[in-house]
Amino acid sequence: MIQLKTMLNCIDNSGAAVVECARVMKMKRHARIGDRIIVVVQKQRNFSESGPGASIATSAANKVRRGDIRHAVVVRTKKKWQRPDGSVVKFDDNACVLINKAGEPIGTRLNGVVGTELRKMKWSKILSLAPMHL
Amino acid sequence: MATATPTLRPLACWKSILRHSRQQKAITRSLTTLRAPERTAAPASRNSLPPVWQKLKVYPPPPSAAAASREPIKDFTNDQLRILDPTRARTNLFSKGNPEGAKVGDILLVRLKDGEPFAGVCINIRRRGVDTGILLRNQLTRVGVEMWYKIYSPNVEGIEVVQRKEKRARRARLTYMRKPKHDRGSVENIVYQYQRMKAGLRSKEDSNLGGKKKGKGRK
Repeated sequence: MIQLKTMLNCIDNSGAAVVECARVMKMKRHARIGDRIIVVVQKQRNFSESGPGASIATSAANKVRRGDIRHAVVVRTKKKWQRPDGSVVKFDDNACVLINKAGEPIGTRLNGVVGTELRKMKWSKILSLAPMHL
Repeated sequence: MATATPTLRPLACWKSILRHSRQQKAITRSLTTLRAPERTAAPASRNSLPPVWQKLKVYPPPPSAAAASREPIKDFTNDQLRILDPTRARTNLFSKGNPEGAKVGDILLVRLKDGEPFAGVCINIRRRGVDTGILLRNQLTRVGVEMWYKIYSPNVEGIEVVQRKEKRARRARLTYMRKPKHDRGSVENIVYQYQRMKAGLRSKEDSNLGGKKKGKGRK
């Protein structure tokens, strides 16, 4: 159940670590796996630990910065989701993948399992990047 | 005459019958002084009337379903289980009375018809007849994942006990395993070892049988 102000983990290598949901697109309810949302980047990856030399490298590698407003796709939810065959899936965290406005992922790699509902929602590019889907 | 009235329209028929009987009554009344009224005349005239009431066939009420089965829902559940689990293997695996059955805390492996098998610690068994389900918890890529599976689902090909809990769990639902302190973590290694052991046993059996059943292995 991703809604306004929900904090999500970002599991791609775009540079964002934690993002906050700012809007759920095209619907008036909360977002589920496969839904598109608009997020604000709250925390960058490897930002605090990098030294003065590394900060330049990090900022070059990071495609997004803190405060950026981006589109994203929800890939895991804490809320249980019942599949048509009766099985129910529930993850321990809420996670998303940043995408551009055309719907292509900003990062090039994903680390972490994603929900199979993405296939139904036509996010096959994200599914192919993911190391595992369930 | 009344005998000629069609039987298809009973109400119109009744009208003519009544008229006829009224006329007959008038006749008999007028004839009383001449001779005694015939006793058999009235029944004879009634028999000659069209037998309208005989045409309506009365059916007996249908047999009561309540009388047929005292507990219809239980019977229906048993019927469904006979279809979904003909060998009663699943029922026995998750029955409370079976000491060899699966209990909460065991590591179970669910093989599916479509998709990869899922293994995890069973933290809840929800016994509800055909809707009986198990809750498995595992960690995939260091993210906790929980899956409910219906044990009688046609999509579930098989359920195997990978590892039993050494000591019986003192709780019915091990939801405390979600806390980081009690989390079992990934069961991937245990399942991998179990699968290798099983494959070893199978290959040994195959060599004993002369490799006859080689094609029948698990996918």
